[in-house]
Amino acid sequence: MTAISATHLSKSFGHYHVLQNISIEIAQGECFALFGPNGSGKTTLLKIFATLQRPTSGHMAILGHDGSQGKEEIRASLMFLAHGSHLYEDLNAIENLQFALSLRGLSPSDHEIKVALDRVAIGAFSEMKVRNFSAGMKKRLALAKATLAQPQVLLLDEPFSALDTAGMEIMQNYIREVVHRQGTVLMSTHDSDKTRAIAHRAGIIRKGHLEPYDIGTSPDYGLS
Amino acid sequence: MAFLKVVQWIVWKDLVTEIRSRETISSMVFFALIVILIFSFSFSMNQQAAQEVIAGIIWVAFAFTGIIGLGKSFSSELQNDCLESLQMVPAPKGAIFLGKVTANFAFIFVVEILLFPMFVIFFNLDVIEEIPILLLIFFLATIGLSAVGTLFSALTVQIRAREVMLPILLLPLVVPVMIAAVEATKGALHGDPFSLYRQWVELLSIFDVVFTVVSFWLFEFVMDS
Repeated sequence: MTAISATHLSKSFGHYHVLQNISIEIAQGECFALFGPNGSGKTTLLKIFATLQRPTSGHMAILGHDGSQGKEEIRASLMFLAHGSHLYEDLNAIENLQFALSLRGLSPSDHEIKVALDRVAIGAFSEMKVRNFSAGMKKRLALAKATLAQPQVLLLDEPFSALDTAGMEIMQNYIREVVHRQGTVLMSTHDSDKTRAIAHRAGIIRKGHLEPYDIGTSPDYGLS
Repeated sequence: MAFLKVVQWIVWKDLVTEIRSRETISSMVFFALIVILIFSFSFSMNQQAAQEVIAGIIWVAFAFTGIIGLGKSFSSELQNDCLESLQMVPAPKGAIFLGKVTANFAFIFVVEILLFPMFVIFFNLDVIEEIPILLLIFFLATIGLSAVGTLFSALTVQIRAREVMLPILLLPLVVPVMIAAVEATKGALHGDPFSLYRQWVELLSIFDVVFTVVSFWLFEFVMDS
């Protein structure tokens, strides 16, 4: 079944055509990597799929829900780990998770939150305000949010940026886990080395057009 | 039930972050104190004139102080792109609106309660018997200001000149609330019988219902645009 689809999708900001006539289908249980130079429109495309921006023309759908009519269903089924961490600086790690997940209608137990924080190796900082977190720790906390939410579709905007080697490995393992449970991952990245081992397919946005991109993907889905 | 939970969590988040940072309330109180001091010195030579215009002075201070708090309500969501996460909440946006209105109402009302004794002291007001009705007037006017202000705070948050645009857009719309609040406050401070200014209090209640319902309905479009 198709999890993410776009048909003749275009997006313009004034006279600047960021995305032009993009059509793509990504199946359930697939990881798709999106490459492209800075400003090529990768984040814009992710934001359109995340229902944060409207396309100028064309259609998109997530798990069969149309982007213009089924926004609430789409938002319930996906999670977007963006450049901004979506975290509140004056709340601690546990409070940030409780708040974000409660708005999604979830109420994880203290134990589940502890396990999620330990999994991304920031369990020791669970009661520290996010104001004192490094960029990498914020990224790990955002990842912990995703592990608790268990979305069917995961949108990742440069998931490996700001992470150290251990953090990158945690991120790779989580992506593998999502795909294993028939979830779908769409990620923008510049790191072909890290992506090769997890992505089934890749594409590159050049001058607004999405083209297939051969990075020699050889996904390894033996969970570590 | 899920709707009320979202309201509850938004209120909780806004109150906890404000209690920890004290950014909004401290700037509101500081600004209002300056306004009170300036007016107090302006009318120090003519107490009778001050008594005539005190209701207007009170609501000038409260309205501009409220705008400071309302402006921060959504601009604080820009840090770490938290606004995006609110836009992506899979729940009716009205729940976010009601949560924000409740938190904004709490901030503005608390500041009004803190500041009113300053007016009493600086302008030598004799209002002990009128306190319950004054609290009712403050309560009703603050609901109207918070409801429209929350909507316009969300509307202007992505604009570069939002600090300028919020008062420019908001103040003309809350003029009816301000007029009703000033007239009702004037009646209460003069010790008039309630029946003489009752219509202004009723008008405030009507404005509250209309403004809250319309803002609630429009908020969904504002958050999705």
